[in-house]
Amino acid sequence: MNELIKKIHSVAKSLGRVKLMEVCGGHTNTVMKYGLKEILPENVKLVSGPGCPVCVTSQKDIDAVVEMALNGIKIATYGDMLRVPGTKKSLADARSEGADIQVVYSVDEIKEKDRVFFGIGFETTTPMTARLLEKGFTVFSAHKTMPNAMKSLAQKMKIDGFIDPGHVSTITGSKMWEEINLGVPQVIAGFTPEAVTRAILLLLEMIKRGEKRVKNDYREVVLPNGNIVAKRLINKTMKPIDAEWRGMGIIPNSGLTPRKEELDARIKYADLIKNIKSIENPACKCNEVIRGLIEPKECPLFGRKCTPENPQGACMVSETEGACAIAFKYGGKK
Amino acid sequence: MNEKISLSEGSGGKEMQELIKKFREIFPIKKWKNEMDDAASLQFNGKLLFTTDSYVVTPVFFAGGNIGKIAFCGTVNDLAVMGAKPLGISLSIVLEEGFPKKDLFKIIDTIAGLSKKTGIPIITGDTKVMEKGSIDKIIINTSGIGKAEKILDEKISNGDRIIVSGGIGEHAATLLAERFNMKSKLKTDSKPLWNEINAVKKYIKQAKDITRGGLAAVLNELAEKNKKQFFIEEEKIPIKKEVRSLAEILGIDFYPFACEGRFVCICNKRNSKKVLKKLKKFNPLAREIGKVKRGNGVIVQTRFGKRILSWPSGKIVPRIC
Repeated sequence: MNELIKKIHSVAKSLGRVKLMEVCGGHTNTVMKYGLKEILPENVKLVSGPGCPVCVTSQKDIDAVVEMALNGIKIATYGDMLRVPGTKKSLADARSEGADIQVVYSVDEIKEKDRVFFGIGFETTTPMTARLLEKGFTVFSAHKTMPNAMKSLAQKMKIDGFIDPGHVSTITGSKMWEEINLGVPQVIAGFTPEAVTRAILLLLEMIKRGEKRVKNDYREVVLPNGNIVAKRLINKTMKPIDAEWRGMGIIPNSGLTPRKEELDARIKYADLIKNIKSIENPACKCNEVIRGLIEPKECPLFGRKCTPENPQGACMVSETEGACAIAFKYGGKK
Repeated sequence: MNEKISLSEGSGGKEMQELIKKFREIFPIKKWKNEMDDAASLQFNGKLLFTTDSYVVTPVFFAGGNIGKIAFCGTVNDLAVMGAKPLGISLSIVLEEGFPKKDLFKIIDTIAGLSKKTGIPIITGDTKVMEKGSIDKIIINTSGIGKAEKILDEKISNGDRIIVSGGIGEHAATLLAERFNMKSKLKTDSKPLWNEINAVKKYIKQAKDITRGGLAAVLNELAEKNKKQFFIEEEKIPIKKEVRSLAEILGIDFYPFACEGRFVCICNKRNSKKVLKKLKKFNPLAREIGKVKRGNGVIVQTRFGKRILSWPSGKIVPRIC
């Protein structure tokens, strides 16, 4: 192990300032859990990307589902979504006021056809939602796809290299990353601390050599064409749309919505949700954290008003993927 | 304070700690002594200790035990880690209407078996039945009194060693595996700890059993109470491969995993080997995992960098004990 760190330091010596982005929240977790930032050379900066599904879900979507729930529509969703603050209320607030919200680990737990599934996540969790749609359940989809969001970040943020999301890549396949051509080196990596450290080394080596390739360093699960069955299922039941991301606005072709309008909760309950006014808490810096512009600790609310017990913003919710919650958990309040 | 009770206030983390603190402020304690400890004590020619705990668990039966086992062991262990020999236990059971009699007697037999084996009698009790749907199957409360010549609350110093009595998280992992329909060889670690504590109590300064909130909560509690920093070497923490893998599969940290038959103790450097030798007779996985330093909080040295181990917060794992 120390060998990898030594090599990183030796390669970094011949480089100027380098900004790398770990896109996936799972990677952020590994970085913080193993204190990787503190053992990296000073000129190598690792910033967290938008790869936390809870975090990038727009305020509007949260507000819409809260409104539906308060109007008696039965909802099912993943546990973390409950605590994400909306403009006025979170889903947890709605539930304590009597709304019927089922928390699921797996979509197979949803049995009633009149229960709307609030689906979130990237390519990794989308196949489960697709399966639900195939069975004729109604979905409020806040599903996102990574490639166009990363394109937008690569251009605006001057990222020198990406650690590509490992689990997303198991579905999309490694070829997809070559095709979208972000113009900087990328490494598809697993989630052990060794894997993340090696990805950093590989990126630095590519930067040094001026290469802009995609290297698949997670071959044990990522195939060139990915998971064909899952992709086919998604394609059959869902279609690409322009999606709103927290912090990044509307990104063309970066979301997925049900193909069948009768299964699309956004259409089915349009009357309920069309007049919602969403206002983001101006003190919360989630928008900047998601884009890697600031570290969680630079937000004035971090660790003071905003804690995992009482999150003020989406990034403080998921302890395994949210940049702020992870920073709080492994780095303390200050 | 929130107006309504939330699940996280029962999960063994910071929120629960705060709720308990508020209770403490309300109740007068008078001559009894209790400072964030597992049982209160009263001076009486030797010391008498008293503790209570309520038990809820899903599922009620699991690999290696049932709710009765953790209800008996939990109270015995709260006394034991204070250095007290348990003298007697009370047993109160609240049942949901319709609870199978067969299951009830299985639970009673378990408790009776443990009582016989340890020589700790069940001395008083109560049973109530509530209407179907008003509680989840069964709730057990046990209280216990114990006697100690010397309470384990010696002042700890920089350089003291931190020892854990066996592999951690096996109880939580067993329940999680059952809840997610995963097959494993795991069994709950639930057991009475008096014999282990009795074997080492001469050599240790303080002890605390690892329950809800896991190692994360216990280490933070001890560090906070003693106003010291606990420096832990992650690679030395004893944890079975199955427990580690299960945590990885579910994407959760093992530090807050509950145990029902493990404790952390602190002794000076000189006694560490002796304590370990004795503890290993009960559980070969007993290990020294770190030391006490000046400062505060819990710092973990991973095989890469260092980081903070914070209080478990929120509802980390499904409710299991």
